[in-house]
Amino acid sequence: MRRSRQSGHAMIELAVSAAVMVSCVAGTVQFGYTFYIYNELVTAVGNGGRYAAMRTYRASGQSDIDKGKVAIRNMVAFGDSRPAPDASPQVANLKPEQVRVDWVMDESGKPAAVSVSIVDYTVDAAFGIFRFTGKPAVEYPFVGRFAPSESEP
Amino acid sequence: MRVRQKGFVLIAMSVAMVLMLAVMGLAFDFGRIYIARNEAQVFTDAAAMAAASKLDGTDAGMDRARQAVAKLPMRWNLGTKAFTGVVVEFSPDKQSWARVTAPDNQVEITFLRAVGGPAVFTVPAHSVAAAKPVRLTE
Repeated sequence: MRRSRQSGHAMIELAVSAAVMVSCVAGTVQFGYTFYIYNELVTAVGNGGRYAAMRTYRASGQSDIDKGKVAIRNMVAFGDSRPAPDASPQVANLKPEQVRVDWVMDESGKPAAVSVSIVDYTVDAAFGIFRFTGKPAVEYPFVGRFAPSESEP
Repeated sequence: MRVRQKGFVLIAMSVAMVLMLAVMGLAFDFGRIYIARNEAQVFTDAAAMAAASKLDGTDAGMDRARQAVAKLPMRWNLGTKAFTGVVVEFSPDKQSWARVTAPDNQVEITFLRAVGGPAVFTVPAHSVAAAKPVRLTE
């Protein structure tokens, strides 16, 4: 009689402590992975922003501006402005479409700065999903060559 | 025998909880520290470049450089806190380079405090940029 009552205690104790432990482990995994991905995104956006800041700004037409933005998005996502068709992203599942590039123009119509941010990126961290929009973001001053009459090659 | 068994789970849980806190601290607090450091580094990289691009050898150029740094919208602590105490320094000839330091980004420690860690951890960053950078021809 006593033995069976004692083993019941052990079951309850295990159940209570396991609930605490498992939620701690789940939280650790979830936040640890999400922070890791966020850190990678900060690096990718920072490097892409620097590339955008130094890149020649060609603007003979809207298509040139768009092509320039595609190159910047590819640089953030793949670390390469012209990635191979089978290139793998720098950060898990990051697509160029999830990178937003905005030029800040000065009064004379020249680019003054460029902001690069992540939109609509989700991290699937096993026990929960986080969504990043507008973060991480960087703004770099434009220090490249301004070529309003040239077109993108 | 029964007396010795009593309280065993309590002790085992306490020991396990301390280890658990340490592991959670490694993942959570170190995760935030590394992110803050990276964010600060990206900020000072951009700020140094912004400052250097305004330099022209005059005091007015240095003022414009400081304003350009102050205008940058970047944040740290997962993009929530503004950088404070940012130091902008220039080369003696006022036109060769700019150095930006973000000295006091203090990450509040959550879990590692419980196992003897500090309350805050400071992650400074600094960058130097040349006033006439190499431009990509692409």
